[in-house]
Amino acid sequence: MRTRAVLGSLFASTAVLVVGWQAGGAVLANQAIGTTTSAPQASGTSGTTAATVPSATPLPSATATAAPVAAGPADGTYTGSSVNTPFGSVQVAVTLSGGTITDVTAVHLTDADGRSRQISNYAAPMLRSEVLSSQSAHVSNVGGATYTTRGYLQSVQSALDQAGF
Amino acid sequence: MRHVFETMGTVASIELPTGWGPALVMPVFAAIDERFSLYRPDSELSRIADGRASLTTSSDTMRASYARAVDWRALTGGLFSPHRPDGVLDLNGIVKAEAIEQAGVLLDATGCPTWSINVGGDILVSGGPWPTGVVDPSDPTALLCSVLLGDPRRALATSGSAQRGDHIWLGGSRALAEFVQVSVAANDIVTADVLATAIIAGGRDALDDITDRWDVDVFAVDRSGALAATPGFRRALVGA
Repeated sequence: MRTRAVLGSLFASTAVLVVGWQAGGAVLANQAIGTTTSAPQASGTSGTTAATVPSATPLPSATATAAPVAAGPADGTYTGSSVNTPFGSVQVAVTLSGGTITDVTAVHLTDADGRSRQISNYAAPMLRSEVLSSQSAHVSNVGGATYTTRGYLQSVQSALDQAGF
Repeated sequence: MRHVFETMGTVASIELPTGWGPALVMPVFAAIDERFSLYRPDSELSRIADGRASLTTSSDTMRASYARAVDWRALTGGLFSPHRPDGVLDLNGIVKAEAIEQAGVLLDATGCPTWSINVGGDILVSGGPWPTGVVDPSDPTALLCSVLLGDPRRALATSGSAQRGDHIWLGGSRALAEFVQVSVAANDIVTADVLATAIIAGGRDALDDITDRWDVDVFAVDRSGALAATPGFRRALVGA
């Protein structure tokens, strides 16, 4: 599974080059950014598969230099056509802003057995500092592993309930 | 208004609009507790568990819950199971979520416009969005983060390997769980609860498999305290 993910990423990276080149010619249909909301950022995938970092990182800058800024394509998210590989079909989307690729997402990867894989939904590492700002929010409920009646008395939920939320 | 009562060995905290009372849903929890509790020697499940009664001749309600649990066992490759390692039937892993689900259906059916149900840390809401905290497994008095729950992500269930965790069996092995706490946000509470349990039991491999196969958002804390989250969970963070 992990090997496939790496291979899939490599093929996706190859496809990025192709899509990036095509986007320069503005031959791809411009799609609403909302269509890629379930897809990951390129940096997000790196947390799951370290091997994607070396292949994915250099690509946007390489493509950006290839695309002349003056005659560049319009800003937006471009979805490439599906590319068939020995490991299944691969489709990626790139987001362009000011002639530079700002985001690359895998729209679709398919295993050799034909099962669609949403690699976009993998849980990636997150720093505590990234969630700090949400900690201070006023909450109406607190989720946690099942507490007993006794455990409840020490819980944050109990404090909320006493305050009448 | 907030209504708090004990049920199923834990505490239910239910928020209802003014004019709505908890009397509507309390019988739902009482009936399920009476039938499924293994702490009540004469509950239907206790009588099946110790051989005084047979599952095959049990109530439709019992067999429906059992069938649902068996379906989930198959879907999770056995990570979720309706049986304890000693073979005793134990449906605690699913009946609390089913009780929350039924209470929610009842509130919706009576036209209650907005509500939240929290039973022992598992939450289902209607309306909203409801800012909802996730507790820090290393400090029960602190929150790790807060997320917005609301349509369609109405359910948040959390399983832990450090606390009671009495419906989580790590395949009979003595290996420590990779995650100490896993929260799953889903569109329904049973899916959220079962999959949180399965990820605790199956670790990182189960996390990757489940986020691949189900439309859920996951927030996991491993033994070293490191955090991992799916993109959807990050987007749901309050202030994100």
